[in-house]
Amino acid sequence: MTEVSSKGGTLNWLRERFPASFAAARMWLRRFGILPQILSLAIIVGVFAIGTKGKYLSWANIQTILSLAAIPAIYAIGLHPTIILGGIDLSVQGVASLCAVFVGILLKNQYNPNDVGLWIIPISIAIGGAAGVINGLLNTGLRIPSFMATLGMSWILYGMAVLIGKAVNVQILDARIESFVAATVLGIPQIAILAVLIAVIVQMVQDRTRFGRYMYAIGGDEVIAKQAGVKVKGIKIAVFTLAGAIYGLASLLLACRLGWATSRMGAGLLFPTITAVTVGGVALTGGIGGAKNAALGALIVTALNDGLVLMQVSPYIQQAVNGVVLIAAVALTLDRKKLGFIK
Amino acid sequence: MSDTSNGANQDTVVQLHQITKVYPGVVALDRVDLAVRKNEVLGLVGENGAGKSVLMKIMIGLEQPDEGTIVLRGEQIALRNSADSIKNGIGMVFQDGSLVPNLSVTENVFLCHEADFRKVGILSLRAMRDAARELLAQMKLYINVDLPVTEISSAERQMVEIARLLWLSRQYGQENPVLILDEPTTVLADEERNRLFSILQDIKKQASIILISHRLQEILENSDRIVVLKDGRNVTEIPAAEAKLSRIEQLMVGHTFSTDRFQEDEQVTPRDREILKVENLSKAGFFEPLSFTVREREIVGLVGLVGSGKEAVCNCIAGLDKADTGDIFLGGRKLPGGSPSAAVRAGIGHIPIDRRSEGLALMMSVAENVNLLVLNHLKTAGLLSPVREKKNAQYWISECQIKTPSIGTLCANLSGGNQQKTVISKWLSSRVRLLILDHPTRGVDVGAKDEIYKLIRRLAKEGIGMLIMCDTLEEDIGLASRMLVMKDGRLVKEIDSSSHNKPAPQDIIGLIV
Amino acid sequence: MADIEQADTAESQDARKRLMRTGRISPVYFTIALLVVVGLLFYLGNRNFLSLYNLNTIISFSAILLMVALGQTCAILVGGIDLSVGGLVSFISVVFILLIEPLGYLAYPACLLIGVIVGYINGNILTRIKIPSFIATLATGGILTSLAYIASSGAGAPRPVNLSPANYHVVDNIVNGRLLNVSKVLYIGFAVLVLFYIILRFTSTGRNIFYVGSNIKMSWMSGISISKTRNIAFILSGAGAAITGLLISSVRYGGDPMVGNAYILNSIAAVVVGGTALTGGAGGVINTLFGAIFMSMLDNGMNVVGINQYFQQAILGAMVIVGVTLTFDRTKTPIVK
Repeated sequence: MTEVSSKGGTLNWLRERFPASFAAARMWLRRFGILPQILSLAIIVGVFAIGTKGKYLSWANIQTILSLAAIPAIYAIGLHPTIILGGIDLSVQGVASLCAVFVGILLKNQYNPNDVGLWIIPISIAIGGAAGVINGLLNTGLRIPSFMATLGMSWILYGMAVLIGKAVNVQILDARIESFVAATVLGIPQIAILAVLIAVIVQMVQDRTRFGRYMYAIGGDEVIAKQAGVKVKGIKIAVFTLAGAIYGLASLLLACRLGWATSRMGAGLLFPTITAVTVGGVALTGGIGGAKNAALGALIVTALNDGLVLMQVSPYIQQAVNGVVLIAAVALTLDRKKLGFIK
Repeated sequence: MSDTSNGANQDTVVQLHQITKVYPGVVALDRVDLAVRKNEVLGLVGENGAGKSVLMKIMIGLEQPDEGTIVLRGEQIALRNSADSIKNGIGMVFQDGSLVPNLSVTENVFLCHEADFRKVGILSLRAMRDAARELLAQMKLYINVDLPVTEISSAERQMVEIARLLWLSRQYGQENPVLILDEPTTVLADEERNRLFSILQDIKKQASIILISHRLQEILENSDRIVVLKDGRNVTEIPAAEAKLSRIEQLMVGHTFSTDRFQEDEQVTPRDREILKVENLSKAGFFEPLSFTVREREIVGLVGLVGSGKEAVCNCIAGLDKADTGDIFLGGRKLPGGSPSAAVRAGIGHIPIDRRSEGLALMMSVAENVNLLVLNHLKTAGLLSPVREKKNAQYWISECQIKTPSIGTLCANLSGGNQQKTVISKWLSSRVRLLILDHPTRGVDVGAKDEIYKLIRRLAKEGIGMLIMCDTLEEDIGLASRMLVMKDGRLVKEIDSSSHNKPAPQDIIGLIV
Repeated sequence: MADIEQADTAESQDARKRLMRTGRISPVYFTIALLVVVGLLFYLGNRNFLSLYNLNTIISFSAILLMVALGQTCAILVGGIDLSVGGLVSFISVVFILLIEPLGYLAYPACLLIGVIVGYINGNILTRIKIPSFIATLATGGILTSLAYIASSGAGAPRPVNLSPANYHVVDNIVNGRLLNVSKVLYIGFAVLVLFYIILRFTSTGRNIFYVGSNIKMSWMSGISISKTRNIAFILSGAGAAITGLLISSVRYGGDPMVGNAYILNSIAAVVVGGTALTGGAGGVINTLFGAIFMSMLDNGMNVVGINQYFQQAILGAMVIVGVTLTFDRTKTPIVK
């Protein structure tokens, strides 16, 4: 066996040496479908580790990345099931703003006597969920394409948020959730653990419940799924509701982390969330990808942006980089056979 | 002639009695009787359009009969949708398959019926996998049940669907399910075909099977009884042992049409000049290398049944698909493959089979559709001239006798026949040299059909060469001056069909089945 | 299983009868009716609404909105959508001011060219990389917004870019002021409207936009170049957005990298409320004209009557949803994703 320097050569060498384990590893990776993501992460870490002369790999920085990636990961976990269905949910910004406003009003603040404490958790989730229900009804009942329905809803919700919040920035005085967000357990940010927990639960639902499998069936071939007896309308509404509910939770966490509830909180959320989802490997054509992909995608995007910040790249160039990454990720994950003619 | 009306027969699982189905302008089924017995393989044959698929759609609840009854295991029932029929133990394996592509074999088999595998709301994947493996093993199929179904072969996919149907019937407690297989062997290789039929013999012991196939030899060898449909009516029913291939062929064809139905008097002799030359054209999986020509004024009919590859040949000529080998020459010049615009520029026109989704812009006006190909000729000073557009549209509307309230009427508001005429006039106005007609009179009422035949005759007189595929053999024979017979991807024979020398359908049917 | 598929089934005959009733009335009439009704409502809310001065304001604003809405019309007609118009308007509004210093009057055609190039890139991402237009333009819009920020202030927070008074003459001579007592903006708006109308109705590429939007498969089979048609549609969209950016900066004597945000919603609303179907292939420039006037009237009226400015956005969102519901061509897709 000659020593080969190229990666491909090494892989082949490994394959010849350890055929059984190689095949098993491939099968495992294939099943979990995250090989490209792990490779990308490795490349990013490698590039920035060198670029920042090791500062990137410091424990403090890794903690930062994990902590920063958690909330986008939760948003991504919320959004991606709508894409698995074959549609999309563009209402993140509106839902986030609306939830933020309610958080400002209901948690202890300086403008009114409200102090709902931890009840805010189910309340925020419920508000997001309600928005999701409407999205689902618009899509299944009025048969408006999901991108249009959710885009319209985003504008409506955003308008409502500003109307209710009256463009006032409310400082959140209830520090309980805030401290949860900031705390660490054994050095790992609690909020990251929460994100992982949510990812695991959602992934399990996707893999091991009928609801989860029907979601993939609809994304695979809606007509056949319907013929087989899948209750397409009900599942679609449920998925949009779930998405909204998860946005509600994420928005609560985000508001508490910022310490301020503003009606503008939603601004700029859509872009990174979609980027995270597609980078993670969830194909826009539907039927492919799960919560682990969404969470991994958020991690990769955060790792990328963190590195860019450490290397002092202008924040606006960062956004341009994100735009290019989005286009590339979408292009690579699309199932061309499904597309036919693209709109 | 048949004993299919003996409903009290103990052995009968399903009895379709005097089923009639009418669509506007066409009688699809006319008082058809069909009995399916226990533990038998029933072969169902008939030409395209004989009514086989409509009958099967009614049997699995996708369509409702206008008249007639369905008696299932002694009781009369109504099948309102496909779920109803599955619950009653009738299932169909379609040609294109109905498995969800991204789900695994296991998931597809148990889709929507996973209740048994639940434990506290969570599915036990291992139990499902084991159950799936067991089911498939009964059909002697040993594959990795975790693979998404896109990664197994078509033969294996078919088996999975059969396994699913059998399992579903058992779930619903139906003891002798009826399994309908629609052209199962078109996608199979020889060994796979043999395997399928040996498995069918096994399955027969616990089910009844209806086998639809255009390959009469297969039907003869594998069925117990054979039912022939023609023009939506029962023609005959014979035990396979007594059946002879030639006799069945004869029964499948032979309609009575008035003489000159296809205006054969108007048929013109082709000139000698070639318009289209196809040399060694082939496409893997569709058709093998073949060559033929079409001359000016010639109408060449392409005949063949399912899987013959004729549609794929036409698609390659029209540039909609790229062939693997060979060349296409139009007027002596070679065409680049896979480009509809190159084909159109060279002068090839294509009247597609589905005028609504492929032939017209439904929400645009008749005039806009008619003028689509010739906009560059309707300009003054570089801009489209409404006056010239109007003139062109009006000319062709009257030439092709398109009945429309105005030239601005949306195409969606025209009848099928007039829509078809609009499509034809669109190509006519662009001075095509070769026109491919894909079932030009499908879904068109009788009066409009006549007008379309007239148009076709006129096209020939003006020197246009045509490649035509029709709904019935009679139509092909009547319209064409020469016929190319295809079967299973091969060009089998060329037959002369000039007006004084028309072959009989019986002569051709033997070649395509 | 396609035996009797094509037959004139009872179903399709019913569908045809339904279409005959609604298909005869052009959606434009609904928009005009809506205009009149809502206009009256605003008048009842505040008499000043129909004052000459106010009407002038409405028309001027609608002219500026109309430019980007005309471009959006093309993108939607061809079957897609252009979500990058916001970023493009912002970017042009800033870059235009920056370019006046070195280029003077040539800043106008230069920015128009930029709009065309952006549109071309959008079209190519769609046709070559085959990404759906709403994602592709979402991405390019984001990139353009960030470029607008950078152009306005480098790495700092985005801020408006003011035109130096020395250069006021450039914008004054072209855009500002009046001719025969009608503001020049209206002339420009009218000219661009006529140009778009001619392109869409009287050129074959324009007609092809309708064909492709109406039935893309048929267009492809008939030899129409799908990629060329789409590119032209998105180029027109880019051009429209660029003109809007130019007008805004000219009128305000300065550029603002945040100014474009509202135009995504407003342009889509103008197109959809005007009666052009999101499915493509139906509608057109005149529809959008009335849609833009309506949107402008709505915007102005809500201010005059005193409705919260932010609530207006919610109303717009609702109108878009209603507009889409009414015009969506459901015969096209059996499945709505």
